This record gives sequence, C-alpha cells and structure tokens, in this order.
Amino acid sequence: MAKLEAKNIVKYFDHDGQQLKALGGINLTVDDGDFVCLVGPSGCGKSTFLRIAAGLQRPEEGEILLDNRPINHTGPDRILVFQEGALFPWLRVRDNVEFGLKIAGIPESERHEISNRYLEMMQLTKFANSYTYQLSTGMKQRVAIARALVMDPEVLLMDEPFASLDAQTRDLLLVEMQMIWQKTKKTIVFVTHSISEAAILGNKVAVFTHRPSTIKKIVQIDHRRPRHAEDEGLMKYQQEILAELKPEVRSMEEES
Amino acid sequence: MKGKITAKKIAFYVGIVLVWQALDAANVWDNTVFPSPYEVAEDLAYGAADGTLWYGIGTSLWRLAVGLVIAIVGGIVLGIFMARVETVNQTIGSIILGLQSIPSVAWAPLAIVWFGLTDAGIIFVTVAGAIFAVTINTYSGVKNINPDYIAAAQNMGAKGDQLITGVLIPAAFPYMISGFKQGWAFAWRGVIGAELLFSFLGLGFLLNVGRQLNDVSQVIAMMLVIMVIGIVIDGLVFKRLEDKVMSRWGLR
Repeated sequence: MAKLEAKNIVKYFDHDGQQLKALGGINLTVDDGDFVCLVGPSGCGKSTFLRIAAGLQRPEEGEILLDNRPINHTGPDRILVFQEGALFPWLRVRDNVEFGLKIAGIPESERHEISNRYLEMMQLTKFANSYTYQLSTGMKQRVAIARALVMDPEVLLMDEPFASLDAQTRDLLLVEMQMIWQKTKKTIVFVTHSISEAAILGNKVAVFTHRPSTIKKIVQIDHRRPRHAEDEGLMKYQQEILAELKPEVRSMEEES
Repeated sequence: MKGKITAKKIAFYVGIVLVWQALDAANVWDNTVFPSPYEVAEDLAYGAADGTLWYGIGTSLWRLAVGLVIAIVGGIVLGIFMARVETVNQTIGSIILGLQSIPSVAWAPLAIVWFGLTDAGIIFVTVAGAIFAVTINTYSGVKNINPDYIAAAQNMGAKGDQLITGVLIPAAFPYMISGFKQGWAFAWRGVIGAELLFSFLGLGFLLNVGRQLNDVSQVIAMMLVIMVIGIVIDGLVFKRLEDKVMSRWGLR
C-alpha cells in the first residue's frame, strides 16, 4: 500500500542567475513500512527531493501524496533528520528530544514518558541532561534520530545522517537503524551517497540519474537482516547499484 | 591565579589613591579645584548619612531599569521584524543605523518639549539611546541563525509565536546579549546625561548641584558612584549572563 508518493516532481535551482533544472520529474512510490534508500551522483538533487517530501521546499511541478492526500506544507507527519542534526544548542538533550512534543502541547509528564522511551532506545539516557556541544558527532545524530522518532511520524526522512561519522560509529548505527526500523515499523526514506550504506539499510534502493534527475532504477534488496558492512551476500546488490550509478557519475564529471 | 589578579587590582586602586593623596599634599592646586581623597570620602559619607546619595542612586537606577526594559523588549521586537520581514528592513532598517549614531543626550531637547521635565522625559532619552543597539544586534542574530534550525522547528510543527519564542530568540541570544551590553551602557549614559540637563533628581542632578555649589568633592564623588555602579551592573548582570549563555552553547 502506498504511503508516500511523489508524482512528477520538477525543481529548478538558481545557479549564478541561471535556472538549472535539478529534478526532471521524479516519480516514486514508497509503500507502508518500506525502507527506501536514495542514491545518485552528487548534486543530483536527492537532498532537495527529501526537503520537498518534507514540505520544506516547493517543487515547480508535481505533487507529493501522503496516504493518497496531496500535501502542501511541512508538518510532523513527515519528520526530516538533517545531515548535521540541526540540534538546538540552547537546549539539553532531553529538551531537544521533547521539542516537537512541547509544540504539540503534550503535558510534561507524558512528554517525559515518551522521551524516556526513545532516549533509552537510542542509548542516550545517561546524556539526557547534557548540552549538545558536550556530545560526539555520533551521539548528536542519535539525539536527532530520537527527536524524530518521538513525533511518531508517518514517514521518517533522513538526509545523509551518517555522512560525517567515523567508520566504527557508522557501522554501529547502521545495525541499530535496522533494529529501529524493525521495531517501529516506520516508513523510511534515506538519502545517502554510499552504495554500501544503501545496500545495508534499504529493502529498496532508488538510483537517481544525473541532472535533470529522474529515478533510473529501483533495486530490490532481498537479504536477511541484520545486515552489516562485511556481508558478502550484499556484494551482488552493490554491484548492481554501482552499474546503474557509474554512467551517471561519469556524465556528471564530464559536465563539470 | 584569580587571587593574583585580585591582588593586582587592589594594588592598582591603592596606588591611585596614594598618588592622589600625594598630589593633594604637594598643594599644587587649590583645594576648591582639587579635593583630597579624604574630602571626597567625607562627602560620600555625608550623602549616605542624610540619605540624598541613596535617593539619588535609587532614582537613577529606577529610570535606568524602566528605560532598559522598554529598550530591550522594543529592540527585540523591532530586530526580529527587520530580520523576518523584508519590507520592514528596507524601510525602518535603513534609518536604524542613522538613529543609532545620535548620542542619547541629543534626544533630551526633544524629550523636554514632548514630556516636560519629568521622569517620562528622562526615560525617553534612555530608551532612545539604548533601543537601536538592541535592535541591530537582534537583527544580526536572527539573520545568522542556522536555517536548518528554523526548518527543523517548522518541520516539527512550530509556527508563529512558537517559532519566535522557541527558536528565533534563543538561537539569536548570543548576539542579543552583545546588544544588551551595548544597550545598557548607552542607557546609563542616557540617564545621567538627561538628569544633568533636566536637573530633576538622580545622580546626574546631584552632579550638577555639586558644580553649581562649586563643591568639587561632590562632583568627583558622584562621578565615582556613577562609575562604580557601571562596573557592578556590567559584572553582576551582563557579564554573568554572557558567561552563562556562552558556556551553555559550548562557545567557551
């Protein structure tokens, strides 16, 4: 059943005064409970697409449907996890996680109950009273994920959340992310530039073409979980994704 | 380390008083022009004993407080509007820098015409002197907010006043504190300057009385009080607030 649908999304960038067509008509259907990873050459607009799906940017053409209803503005039914976390430095970890609940007017005791659950899930209980500058990059992303999960969104949108992590932290979070997905049964759209990350996380991987980008192919990944970085069974999927991606990266390089 | 700095400071102040005393003892200038530290201290003690000093301090601080609160609240509102509404920035924003360059006492003649020799007139001068520093710093603060903070908050459902109080103000706060610090210093100068001109109670008035009576020790005594209050408020209120916010953000 379709949870999130993108219909013919077209978006232009303003590039040195010139209008550059970034998204050339993206069509994507994300089923309920799907874990879809988006990969593509850098600058192809996959992050922009995610922001459009979150309602934070408007496309020039096309529409986003959530549960078959068109959506025109942003809202907590689609929560975006930002690449750099976008945590609020003036709030403690717990208050960061509870921010959206407070906005929604949920009473304090109930907020604490909910945030405790997700702080524990993300192994942050000990850090509930820390300020964000006291946390490592990996910890910050855990907070960002917890802040998104407390909102219980229909769709979780993640914009390269692990891009700036060191290898060990990333491997750990890749395993945890799969457990979170299985536990919460969330529908997730995850942008990454890493083919291996996409193959580990996604049950579908959508490959974007070079600008103006469209979705070239969706690779279905049927492999047991939890998957990890050294999983040899994932090799053939990675190769399949790479084969689709390579000409796109090449055409990007030729252009620049 | 801290003890060493305090010792240096004490030595410095004791040194000033000693030099001052020595100059007085040398009898270079007449006592009516150059009073001794003892005479100034005596003047302070006299004012403290008969209450005029406390009343003067109280009056000036009350005017400062009212003026500063109005300037801070008004400056924040104006600054946020300028940062978020392009038309406000293009219109009001264009004259703010000009208004900021007007020394606060230059507002005094207008204030006298509008409000007469009243508290309201003095407070007007105080507000006019302080508000634009707060406005400009709030504006820069809001303009420099990481756009992802605003996007994340909107994504989580924040709008309108929730966005302003929940994100814009706290995110711009480190900048705003600079505005408060500048604003308070301008406000204090504004209060004293206006009191000198209005000659209507307060420390500035007492300072002027000293001049009229040719009582130089009172003039110096009042200047010392104005300075000490400046140091105390800056250290006790604004420095502390700044330290707190900076350490919370991990900026120091």
